[in-house]
Amino acid sequence: MVDVRLFADLAEAAGERVVEVEVPAGATVGAALERLCEEYPAVANRLFDGDAIRRGYTVAVDGETVESSTALAGDELAVFPPVTGG
Amino acid sequence: MRAVRVVGPDATAAVAHIASVLDGSVATVEHLDPGTPRTPPPAADTAYGLAADGSWVGVGENQSLTTLLEAVAGHDYALVAGAEARLPAVVLGDATASDILVRAESADDLDLDHVAAEIATLDPRETLESLVAVVKADPAADRAGAIATFTGRVRTRDSPDDAPTERLEFEKYEGVADERMATIERELAERDGVFAVRTHHRTGIVEAGEDIVYVVVLAGHRREAFHAVEDGIDRLKDEVPLFKKEVTVDDEFWVHERD
Repeated sequence: MVDVRLFADLAEAAGERVVEVEVPAGATVGAALERLCEEYPAVANRLFDGDAIRRGYTVAVDGETVESSTALAGDELAVFPPVTGG
Repeated sequence: MRAVRVVGPDATAAVAHIASVLDGSVATVEHLDPGTPRTPPPAADTAYGLAADGSWVGVGENQSLTTLLEAVAGHDYALVAGAEARLPAVVLGDATASDILVRAESADDLDLDHVAAEIATLDPRETLESLVAVVKADPAADRAGAIATFTGRVRTRDSPDDAPTERLEFEKYEGVADERMATIERELAERDGVFAVRTHHRTGIVEAGEDIVYVVVLAGHRREAFHAVEDGIDRLKDEVPLFKKEVTVDDEFWVHERD
């Protein structure tokens, strides 16, 4: 199980700020995102443009951006839209 | 400064109890009934009485809680009894609030250590003045000839016929946003001639006309100060995971969806 922390319209689309996604041990970030999108199609719509993550959207582990091929080591993924602070 | 409100039947007593356990300077704000007699001089908006020993009283008119809290922002804590406010609340008895920090039956039932611990978890309210005070107290301040600041605020409208913005709402990625801001502050302060950098970004609801973000730079000379403050706000807007929702008279939307 991996926790996926969501923000802004992504959290609104899922109805939750943190969702649990079931993936086997040693799975990749990409696999976790696939499961996330299967369970939350509304999130999938906002996060992906076809097969590619939309420009400006970030997938991070411990605050650091990760690639889809990265193996999941910890227990929390964060997915967020383009930043709009300031 | 961390600000909390206390609401319920014996709020005033609760404020006194809580103030006694907080470590630091405390400002309290008591709700006055409109009929309460008070007499500032007729022509004055605000009147203070100051005695030779430094004791003072203040009285006045036309004050908002927001402005009053800014005036006491140099304190470590503000405890507001009874007034309506967008503040985390200590809720007593049957009273209600939308942002409840602690609940108790009455002032005497409060677990004061628990209240103090909960208050410590709140994000401090900073103002431009409080951040400037921090950099002025920096050890290197005696070599600093310049302080440059930037204030980002809620713009009510972009053009005369733009639908007025009522408020913005900011969500942040807790922990990561604070780390990124600290990194930006540290990297800018590593520049030659830059001695200290402080930033602050409000989260939650920020009303039209209110301040959102501050960048304050202490430097030897103005050139370095100006460059650092510009780079500071540019980097903050580019790198810090904060998300802005705009609420206008007509509409409500996440700003990144419209860009």
